[in-house]
Amino acid sequence: MRRRPGIGGLQTAAAARDQYRLLGENVAKIRTDLMKEQLTTFRTQLEDFARKHKNDIRKNPAFRSQFHDMCSKVGVDPLASNKGFWAELLGIGDFYYELGVQIVDICLATRPHNGGLINLQELCNLLRQRRKSDREAVSEDDCLRAISKLKVLGNGFEVISVGKRKLVRSVPTELNKDHNEILELAQAQGFVTVAEVERRLSWTTGRAIDAFDTLLDEGLAMIDDGHRDGIRRYWFPCVSSISTAVGADT
Amino acid sequence: MQKLGDFKLPQFFNYPPYFTLQPVRDTREKQVQLWKELILDYCRTQKIFVIGLEEEFPLFSNPAIERSLSHEAREAFLSALVSEGRAEWLDKRHRKCLILWHRIQEWANIILNFVKENGLEDSVMTVEEIRSGIESRGTELHGIDRTILMRALKLLEQKGKLAIFKGTTADDEGVKFSI
Repeated sequence: MRRRPGIGGLQTAAAARDQYRLLGENVAKIRTDLMKEQLTTFRTQLEDFARKHKNDIRKNPAFRSQFHDMCSKVGVDPLASNKGFWAELLGIGDFYYELGVQIVDICLATRPHNGGLINLQELCNLLRQRRKSDREAVSEDDCLRAISKLKVLGNGFEVISVGKRKLVRSVPTELNKDHNEILELAQAQGFVTVAEVERRLSWTTGRAIDAFDTLLDEGLAMIDDGHRDGIRRYWFPCVSSISTAVGADT
Repeated sequence: MQKLGDFKLPQFFNYPPYFTLQPVRDTREKQVQLWKELILDYCRTQKIFVIGLEEEFPLFSNPAIERSLSHEAREAFLSALVSEGRAEWLDKRHRKCLILWHRIQEWANIILNFVKENGLEDSVMTVEEIRSGIESRGTELHGIDRTILMRALKLLEQKGKLAIFKGTTADDEGVKFSI
């Protein structure tokens, strides 16, 4: 199109711009439509898949976890509502609801011992012991999903990472960085001493004792003066499993 | 699970901090509760009636984790039992403690049932026979501590269920039931 000077030329240029813009919008719309169609197809296929593999999803934790991953990629949350296609088809809503209730129970029951902080592994173990008679196996991934649903209900549940472990918190206690570092140190043997904290973290005695005092007050730590070396040890029930504290089995 | 003889020890017994008196109130309460239950359970199943604080009582230490209860801790836990009416100090210095895994009233009821089940409503027995005679075998009364037995009998005497009379020696104190 030849550019022509003058008002006519400006009008032509404006018209051209408009046309390009319309074309651009159309292209975008077509792309979006295509994508929506693809997603719909994908979702339908996912539903078919879920129907076919319903039993595997229920019984196999690893399979279940991968299924969840697939769902989130497509923007589907089988747990979003307890009603609706997914929950009815798979009964998964009930499964996680039930898990959630059992998790709350276990956290309440162990709170006097561990102050409201329990390590994920122990929580799962206790959960499995409780569900021994159930056909459906439970994985740590399942626990995490159930807990994330609990969070939505505002139960104050939170999963925090300390070092290599995940801890489930069921009380409003906020742990600051100092507390976290102590917990991380404690993971090695289940306890720490003031000297160890001073040495490994380069803290002053005052800072260490402050942190320990808070942890004691919150019920997250217990003192132990019984070692023959006479040095006080601070034990943290949440980083050890009570049933394996000294190799004793249940 | 670790055992003392055939008694199953609870898991807290293997966790070192429980052998140190905890300073934080809520934690201490939980600790005391656990120890109270353990002591009562153990005494009930092993038929132990008296604990001497300075003696080697199996629950006071756990060699597997190299921990022992201090004297202060032992006294704290037993005092808690005393406050609950589940134990009594036998001396002012708190060296010996009588453990009432059945309260005196419960023992009294056990004696009443024992009498009824053996058709002894109007008969006479020595105190020693009650705790070691043939009829007592297999019952909770067998081997019962004499002090506890006498207290239960006196309680029943006050209610007019029996009369205690002295024999020629302390060994044949007798009881006439009138239930």
